[in-house]
Amino acid sequence: MKSSLLDLGGLNIHISDGILEPQWILFWYAISAIFITLGLRIINKRIASDPSYLPRISLIGAVVFVISVWHIPVPVTGSSSHPVGTPLAAILIGPFATAVVSSIALFFQAFVAHGGLTTIGANTFSMGIMGAFGGYFVYRLLKNFTPLWFSAGMAGFVGSILTYLTTALQLALSLNPGNVVYYWKLYSLGFIPTQLPLAFAEFAFTAYAIKYISGTKQELISAASHGKDNFTGTALLLMIVIASVIALGAYIGYLKGGNMAGTDGVVEAHAAPGVNPNGIGTRLMARFGEPLGFAFVGITGGLVTGYYWNAWRKP
Amino acid sequence: MIEWLTRDPLNGLVVTITFFISLILGRYLGQKRTRAGFKRFMIDPRIKLLISFLLIISITLMNHWYFPVVITILCAVIALKLRIFRDYSKKLTFPLVLALFIFALQGFTYGVNKIDLGIISIYTEGIEYGFLIFTRVFASASILILLVVTTSENELLENMRWFRFPGTMIEISSFMARYIKTFSNEGRRLKLAQESRCGFSRDLGFTGRMYNTASLCGALIIRAFARSERVYKAMLSRAWHPQLRYSHILPLNRNDAVLGIILSFGIIGLVVFDRVL
Repeated sequence: MKSSLLDLGGLNIHISDGILEPQWILFWYAISAIFITLGLRIINKRIASDPSYLPRISLIGAVVFVISVWHIPVPVTGSSSHPVGTPLAAILIGPFATAVVSSIALFFQAFVAHGGLTTIGANTFSMGIMGAFGGYFVYRLLKNFTPLWFSAGMAGFVGSILTYLTTALQLALSLNPGNVVYYWKLYSLGFIPTQLPLAFAEFAFTAYAIKYISGTKQELISAASHGKDNFTGTALLLMIVIASVIALGAYIGYLKGGNMAGTDGVVEAHAAPGVNPNGIGTRLMARFGEPLGFAFVGITGGLVTGYYWNAWRKP
Repeated sequence: MIEWLTRDPLNGLVVTITFFISLILGRYLGQKRTRAGFKRFMIDPRIKLLISFLLIISITLMNHWYFPVVITILCAVIALKLRIFRDYSKKLTFPLVLALFIFALQGFTYGVNKIDLGIISIYTEGIEYGFLIFTRVFASASILILLVVTTSENELLENMRWFRFPGTMIEISSFMARYIKTFSNEGRRLKLAQESRCGFSRDLGFTGRMYNTASLCGALIIRAFARSERVYKAMLSRAWHPQLRYSHILPLNRNDAVLGIILSFGIIGLVVFDRVL
């Protein structure tokens, strides 16, 4: 065997090659690429002002990769599994840098047949973006009014839960596009026996690790804003809050028996009453049209507002 | 009996001509290979990576289970021939766990044609779809495993510049590839030291064991931080600076490029064939 990387053990929830449909492979690659590009920009900025940042981020990235394949004891089940590791990395090197490092780690993990080549985008999104950003957000939210170990532990817990919920969603979107919410719940339930106890283990692991580091080398934890300015921070906070409110509202509506179809039927009946329901345009629109259209509006609106932001702020 | 000869000689002619031309070509290629010496694994890693990626994507596009099964059998034969079958089969277990989970879930929940098996029921459509996914995962994992056991991560990293990967990402990857092994060994040594001081006693509960593992992890992170300072000094002493960019990209060999194009067309043809069937 040529690969020099260590062997992994235990069950993992990285999506393997051959599971996702090609359009979803591309979609998750595109989404992850945006975060990785932003992460690289932040890393390059930091390297320009502090060149020692390059070996630091790389070595800490390497050690977080090593830790993420260690077996940790899992409560209740009595077995052992390996932690996600990205919430811990996000606390140490920042969520954007974690997105970059986790995409590289996933490339290396493909060498031990964990995950795959075509699913690096999807796995980066679940582990390196949702896990890292979710965990980091919880850490920042809690650290000012709870003990450091607790906020770190909660970051680990939330990061782990978000990772497996996102993986379940990715599977449902690709394999059962006709009934996404139902299959999302099914896949999530399927993962619970292994992933829920693991999330508790991740809580204890991250909490103890951060407590140990803060007691030994405080400057590693209190590293400033990880290269993220106030504007980016506020924008991300707003994004997470608004998205959470929408998701919560949708979930409440779903629990009350809503079909999540919204007002589409009413709008379509008035805007295009004579349309052929089985025509290729209608079918394409049903599958891609709406998300693509909204994505286009979001990207255009965001780009224009962001581009002229400083000009508008400083007359 | 010889009707094909007297009335329809075309098939016979085609068979004869193709057989003998192939015979001559085969003999020539065999001689050439003997002269050049037997070179295994000499395909450019970039071509291997591109073809593997394309083949995995094409497998996910296939609608019939038998094409992935044929690809899996071919991969297993290659693994046997390369004497890496044990490593190949060991690595296959990880992807197949998730594939089996999906197979079971689809079989129990997806479709309309129910088959009652007494206590439980399964769906015909779910079994068919689940089996298709299972064979796709089997074939894709086989290809990936063959790629990784015949190509080192360093070989691939060296060629990442050709794929126009950002320089910073390649630098971080190179550092990580180099230090993963170092930190893995260091972690093992730390754990051994802790074990020798009864750190992992069976009497310890979940919290105790977790505290020990996490403190090992913390110690390793602090060591990584300290080592990164030394690495930075070593880089500076070798005239490194942030603007330094490695620009040399190895050109692609013509034979490898031709092989890549032929294989790509073959893969596209396979997908078209699967769709037409």
